Amino acid sequence: MVDMSSTSLSKPIERPHIPTWRRIIENQWFLLLIVVFLISGVTGYVNPRYFMQQNLMNILEQISVLGLVAAGATILIIAGNFDISVGSMIGLSACIMAILINRGVNEFLVGVIGVLVCILCATLNGVLSVVFRTPSFIISLAMMGVYHGIALALTQGVIQTIYGRFEFIASTKLLGFFPLLFFISILGYLFVHIILKYTQIGRRVFAIGNNPRAAFLAGINVPLNTILFFFLNGILVGMASVLILSRLGAALPSTGSGLELRAIGAVVIGGVPITGGRGNILGTFLGVLLMGVISNSLNMMRVNPYFQEVAYGLLIIFAVAISSIRYRWLGAR
Amino acid sequence: MEERERILILSHITKDFPGTRALDDVSFDLYAGEIHCLVGENGAGKSTLIKILSGAEKPDQGEIILFGKTYRHLTTKQAIDLKIATIYQDVDLVDSLTVADNIFLGVELRDRLGVVDTKKQEEIAQDIMRRLNIHIDPRLLVEELSPAQKQILQLIKALHRDARILIMDEPTSSLGIEETRALLELVRTLSSQGIGIIYISHYLQEVTQIGDRITVLKDGKTVACYRKSEFTIEQLIRDMVGREASLFYRKDPVPIGEVGLRVENYSGKSLVKNVSFEVRHGEIFGLGGMVGSGRTELVNLIFGIDRRDSGELYLDGQRITPNSPRQAIRHRMCLITEDRKGSGIFPFRSVKENISIARNEQENKVALRLSAERQRVEKIIKALKIQLASIEQDINSLSGGNQQKSILGRWLLNEADVFIFDEPTKGVDIGSKEEIYRIMTDLCRQQKCIIMVSSDMPELISMSDRIGVMRDGRLIAIVNAREISEEELLRIYLGYYVEEKSNGRYVEYVSQ
Repeated sequence: MVDMSSTSLSKPIERPHIPTWRRIIENQWFLLLIVVFLISGVTGYVNPRYFMQQNLMNILEQISVLGLVAAGATILIIAGNFDISVGSMIGLSACIMAILINRGVNEFLVGVIGVLVCILCATLNGVLSVVFRTPSFIISLAMMGVYHGIALALTQGVIQTIYGRFEFIASTKLLGFFPLLFFISILGYLFVHIILKYTQIGRRVFAIGNNPRAAFLAGINVPLNTILFFFLNGILVGMASVLILSRLGAALPSTGSGLELRAIGAVVIGGVPITGGRGNILGTFLGVLLMGVISNSLNMMRVNPYFQEVAYGLLIIFAVAISSIRYRWLGAR
Repeated sequence: MEERERILILSHITKDFPGTRALDDVSFDLYAGEIHCLVGENGAGKSTLIKILSGAEKPDQGEIILFGKTYRHLTTKQAIDLKIATIYQDVDLVDSLTVADNIFLGVELRDRLGVVDTKKQEEIAQDIMRRLNIHIDPRLLVEELSPAQKQILQLIKALHRDARILIMDEPTSSLGIEETRALLELVRTLSSQGIGIIYISHYLQEVTQIGDRITVLKDGKTVACYRKSEFTIEQLIRDMVGREASLFYRKDPVPIGEVGLRVENYSGKSLVKNVSFEVRHGEIFGLGGMVGSGRTELVNLIFGIDRRDSGELYLDGQRITPNSPRQAIRHRMCLITEDRKGSGIFPFRSVKENISIARNEQENKVALRLSAERQRVEKIIKALKIQLASIEQDINSLSGGNQQKSILGRWLLNEADVFIFDEPTKGVDIGSKEEIYRIMTDLCRQQKCIIMVSSDMPELISMSDRIGVMRDGRLIAIVNAREISEEELLRIYLGYYVEEKSNGRYVEYVSQ
């Protein structure tokens, strides 16, 4: 007979107590905040103009579009999906909006259409991925070309200038100094935060990202919800495309290209593992902020702009290294 | 008998897993050219023994002596270097490669340019097969082979790697009679070439035909070792079962009500064939049978996970046949799977979320009502005595038993009426085990319908009211759990008849 007396008797294996200071240090957002302050401190020391209100507001304005895209990507990545066609989507949507504005269509209506274009494209990605049971990474890789091609065909590759007719969003400053762009971006983060924290949709995001099989067995309609996540991402990308057009005052098919990768980078820096299942919007916000701060600092310190790309790359490696070390610590107990 | 080398000695091997001792002071040996069969009930320790030999598990105590050298434990690489080949039930061949490519996988022949010499490989493969009197075209893709041919190919693959010890785990479970005979023939040929073979099967007929020696494992111990023709099948079965009564959990008697769940003609994926039975309110209907008999496949069909070829499900006379788990859950069914990690928990989410997910999903409100949720979850946690520091902690940080109870809590919170348990106490410590039994008894009192798949025979007999026995995808018998002994139940599992007796006990043979 199995000797039962020698084996553990219903003793729960709990996680050993981790001191509060270690919990704080191990928190991704805490580390990010420290890095943001460190970089700011150094830059401010080298170039005091960094801390001027004008410059700080500039940073916020610069990260507004990326923030919206990254907020959407947060939902997708936590749920274990990707959409790397968002850059082309923004290009397509911006081009369509610019063309419509030049034809004299009402500007508000144009904005709505721009958002709808992105919602449509994003949802289509989700549908294709679900129907063909193909990783969304591959589907969106393919659709990236499709959207970009459509934009090229519509514009014949010619830049679509809108002569400042959409400028009011980008030029409005709340209370005379706070950029409206960043305020909209904050609304995007809040939107995602509320979904993730306070709705059943958010619970499904995490459930599917954690364990799709268990989600299916718990009665969650995994395919339908995956499409819903893409749809939500589309809303945010759509808003981003309106903002970017307003900022630039002109649209090209390549407008927004590269945003998808920087958004994924920001989400990863913010602590969402690339396999999904974990994460929060605060991390993404700080990831975006860090990218903005670094970019601005390099400008302020007159570093060759080409090196900015190098800095982004190193930043992502750095962030991933930190998470990996962190999980190893926790994993080793 | 001629003198033969003793190539493998396992001496006093012990291996503990959380909650159970999988192997307890087991000794085992193997001679060159010998077929040594290993039999035992589900969970007797056969798989653990194989894993130790193939380097997948380390023994806690004991020694492994291979070809005269002593090891504390093996690594997978050592096992391969020492020419130990393990052939599993689930064939590990590459479907998209040819027969010859598979034989030479990892040891490809190359021509002068370093390119794989397909021609030569095919010739050699053909040669090996001719010698063994096997007719498989080496140029065929593996996906075109029958299950039997795949088993044979695995043997050839091992042979080509000069295997000296072959471990075969239930090689015939998916084969027909003719194919089985051919395979056994081949196994005998291989042993006559000096390969030592460890042969595991729950088909006792096969074992008696082929084995030079037979070792019976029970609850992690060797209970007997027979030479050929020194034993009867009767004796083997008796050795495989029989326990101290103290381990049986005694379920309080609960009044049983009307028929609740009616399963009608369920078939699917050719793994389940035309199964019908009824479960009454307050009853636990056990599902027994050897591993691979189709028990899990059956409950997956009933819960709407896999597509069925036929079958209807009725609850209290109303047709509810679900086509997806979502529909099943809407009809207040639930399935607690065997694979808690793979299909039960959301590891990096809180206990609270893990418990409330199904209920929230059914209520399907956009905004969560967080305070109500918290209260409901706390009530469940108290009722089930789940031990935790905070309901916000990751479920991953709980013990297996507490995780299992949390999953049960998920369905209690959703007020399920039909509970399907697949191995409810697998990997759960003794204390939690009794808790789970207590909860199941409570569910009976509340007149729920319960189906329980279990490989643990004492559990099956003590918890079930009736037991349906599956064999090769069919429900072959339904027996009264109160009247059956382990030995008789095992006989039914293995396809032997048990006499029906008049005094109230019954064994109902459903189909053959």
